Amino acid sequence: MFTSFRQSMAWLHTWFGLALGYVLMACFFFGALSVFDREIDRWALPETRFAPQPMPSFDKVLLPAFARLEADPADYALNMPALHDAAKGPQTPRQELPPDEYWAYTTHRDPVLAIGAGFRVPQPKDPGLENHIHANATIDPRSGAAVPSDQLKIGSQWFYPMHYSLNWQWQNMGIFTVGLAGLVMLVALVSGVIMHRKFFREFFTFRPQKQTQRSLLDLHNLTGVVALPFHFFFAFTGLLIFAGFYYFPVSQFQLKPLHDQHEIIEARETGLPHQRAGIPAPLASVDAMMAEAKRRWAARDMAGEVGFLQLHHLGDANGYVSIYRAGSDRVALVGEAIHFKASSGEVLREEPPRAAVPALNEFLTGLHLQHFEHWLLRWLYVLGGLLGCACIATGFIFFVEKRKRQHAAAGSPGARVVDALAVGCVTGMVIAAVGMLVVNRLLPAGLSGKGEWEQQIFWGLWLLAFVHAALRGAPVAQARINPAWREQCWAIAALALAAVLLNWLSTGDHLLQTIILEPYWAVAGVDLSLLAAAGLAALAARRLARREQRALLSPSAAPETEVVHA
Amino acid sequence: MTRTHSRPLQQLGIALRILAAIPGGWAFSWGFVACGTAALVALGAPFHDAETALLMLGLLVFAGVFLWSFAARSVLRVCAVLVGGALLFNAAALLLQRAILS
Repeated sequence: MFTSFRQSMAWLHTWFGLALGYVLMACFFFGALSVFDREIDRWALPETRFAPQPMPSFDKVLLPAFARLEADPADYALNMPALHDAAKGPQTPRQELPPDEYWAYTTHRDPVLAIGAGFRVPQPKDPGLENHIHANATIDPRSGAAVPSDQLKIGSQWFYPMHYSLNWQWQNMGIFTVGLAGLVMLVALVSGVIMHRKFFREFFTFRPQKQTQRSLLDLHNLTGVVALPFHFFFAFTGLLIFAGFYYFPVSQFQLKPLHDQHEIIEARETGLPHQRAGIPAPLASVDAMMAEAKRRWAARDMAGEVGFLQLHHLGDANGYVSIYRAGSDRVALVGEAIHFKASSGEVLREEPPRAAVPALNEFLTGLHLQHFEHWLLRWLYVLGGLLGCACIATGFIFFVEKRKRQHAAAGSPGARVVDALAVGCVTGMVIAAVGMLVVNRLLPAGLSGKGEWEQQIFWGLWLLAFVHAALRGAPVAQARINPAWREQCWAIAALALAAVLLNWLSTGDHLLQTIILEPYWAVAGVDLSLLAAAGLAALAARRLARREQRALLSPSAAPETEVVHA
Repeated sequence: MTRTHSRPLQQLGIALRILAAIPGGWAFSWGFVACGTAALVALGAPFHDAETALLMLGLLVFAGVFLWSFAARSVLRVCAVLVGGALLFNAAALLLQRAILS
């Protein structure tokens, strides 16, 4: 059916790229935003605009904060009936569940602290399982006070999960869709390179003054090839992060017996108890354990902030405390854990350096998740993500440009539909994201369920952008430009400017304040990025207007030369 | 692209290739990961090290067979190799596991 190898690769590249490009666009765009997720959180939650804090005192700040946690009602309603053994008596009421596990996690960019607890189901069906009902909270580490939980962290709880799950939780369909898109990204990169006849000659070719179709293809190839290692790396490591749990969970299926045996061997080797002993025991000073952990890291010549802290089997003789070093000075996330006996504070185990394979895995996934401290690299990630967006977007537009005359002549709606979808997922996505920030500054801070409103408006704006693009698409059916591109660019410019102004009006943090008077780069950076986006969008809108004018003046322009592609 | 639209047989060929590439490629790579993990454990590697190494390779294998599903001349051969391979790999994984645990 394919007459040549190259043709089969072209087919694959074109059609899979078209079908999953829309998803990839969201992955790359929201992935690029996720690089600064915590900074976007600060912008959206003005009461959290203070300097990043180290892990606070456990005994004075964290323990009282943990004691205030209650099992999450939704988690309780969903999982308690499944975990609890009804034959042994009625369900323990939610507020009376005993805590079994506490954790706290921070990075060098977090002013506020994420904490959580796992509450034990006292009469479980299967005592071998973890049997936890969870609670999550965010606290101000300076005082231990809770940050209101119905306020959405737009960066780390909306844009960040958007880039790997599309915020589509049902049956984890979002994660699987993104997984397929990631695989298609790998495949599209390989097939894209194969399609290039003159790969090296075209390596850095860009002819902006040539006909639209030719310069589009140049830009598509340029953005794809220049950032090829970046694109391949992020698609691959993104898949790798989820592979063990979602894509190839062999350890939970046919190899579960082997996996379980390994757990037992490991528990014996590390001396860290897998189960509670059933004997009550007190908790020694965790601050003393943190001090000892820092002393040991310092002795190994390593930067010594605590990144992750976890208490297991609370109040039990088998209880232990795991203290992990923050990953600000290296690629891997947290590590060099030291485990202490909870009741006495004696060291149970100091983790040895990783073996080669896990170290490689940590390096690869750590380079994707980048919690280390390197601001230049952070910006390069944003650039790479945006290059990915440009590559995908030019792919869509090339698809349309190549076919729109043919489709216009044949009366086929294909090009018009693809074009409208492209508008909706290129400019529409930016409108949804920036519009969400505008709404965040317009809605009062005390509004109950504010986060819910923001999410609904995000989806609403995005949907509106698709509808607008579809309604305005008639010119494409006559082989002209959809004016929705230009109009949505203006919408982005207006929304981005409005966001910066509203931030000033509602918090007093204008750029002079955040850059010079009282430097706070998290907020200044978001404002400056919004201004840059507004400028670029306005520039694009003006150029599009000129192009539309030119097309109107010469409606019978000579047909563009056919380019050997797809 | 060839003019395949008018020929139902060629459309069936495309549909088969897509099925081979996605579910077929997934089943094949899954088997590869399971079998490879069990084999490395049998050779003495710790479970999670073996699993991690095979996950990395498995993703590359998946991308590879995905491309091959479209590049190969015979779609039927692709289907046979992927389905047969998936069955063999998974059976081998189970047998290896039984041998290790016994």
